[in-house]
Amino acid sequence: MSCKKFKILLSTYLDEEITKDEEEELSKHLKTCSGCARELEYLKDIKRVFFLKEKKEPSEFFETRLFAYIKDRGKQSLWERYLRAFKKPILLVLIFFLLTVGLLNYKKFFYQRPAELTSDLLIDTQLEENFEEELLAVYYEPPR
Amino acid sequence: MEEDSQLLARFKKGDEHAFELLVRKYKTPVFNTVYSIIGNTQETDDIAQEVFLKVYTKAGSFKGESSFSTWLYRITVNACLDELRKRKYKTISYEAEIDQEEKLKLKDVLAGKEEDITEDLRKKELQDIIQKAMNSLPEKDRIILTLKEIEGLSYNEISQIMKISLAKVKVWLFRARQKLRGKLSFLYPEE
Repeated sequence: MSCKKFKILLSTYLDEEITKDEEEELSKHLKTCSGCARELEYLKDIKRVFFLKEKKEPSEFFETRLFAYIKDRGKQSLWERYLRAFKKPILLVLIFFLLTVGLLNYKKFFYQRPAELTSDLLIDTQLEENFEEELLAVYYEPPR
Repeated sequence: MEEDSQLLARFKKGDEHAFELLVRKYKTPVFNTVYSIIGNTQETDDIAQEVFLKVYTKAGSFKGESSFSTWLYRITVNACLDELRKRKYKTISYEAEIDQEEKLKLKDVLAGKEEDITEDLRKKELQDIIQKAMNSLPEKDRIILTLKEIEGLSYNEISQIMKISLAKVKVWLFRARQKLRGKLSFLYPEE
């Protein structure tokens, strides 16, 4: 085993997560390798640094604030819960509504609009005026 | 004392008091984890609150595949990661943060006896120095060191919380410690 692997074992040894076999191998290695023995001391120091790091306590009113916060947010989350529960039916209704609106307007869009367009385009105002005059000439005789 | 699983089961049935007991039990570990990863006391309370709010709202979906505490720590770590990413925290330049005087203080404390650090002022200074060194580490290292050194969790629990293999836990922890040692290299003059 290389020193690199032994160094990782040093860390697991300090955390008491080392197997018996690994521990035996490590202790044999430490007797002969000064580099790894020194590394063990450094790692112990790092652990000591954390040992010195004191635990912090949350603020005095943490719980009071938390429960008030939960109560407040709970109201919102109730709506979220309802929305989540009815998400599928709401989506289905919405799709049905869109399809119905689409189908109802389908005819208007595809049939009425082209008709309007063609009549607009085909109307020749001059011809229509002449036609009306001709009609008047046939059915109504001009007064003498 | 009631088991976490029992308290959670009671809470799922609508017993709010069971939730209060869980909060009472875990508020300090959650707070310390958040503080150690985020490194900012002002935001720690808010993030810890968000963690418990998530527990409150998601308890119904927790199927008990892991222990409650593992699930809680995972929520806590994720909340910290969200916060770090949201605010685009970057690793702070350690050299810019810690001065020569502080380095000497820590060196004295570590070289001296335990009684030396009982003074509140020195203790506070020491906490600041250690936290600054932690803040300067990448988030992955901060998380793994926090879970191991601050919370004293086992490798197995860490692997479940961080969703990594046991082998990775061993390697990441070793590397994180080495990086921290690098930051505190002034403690090792013979190197």
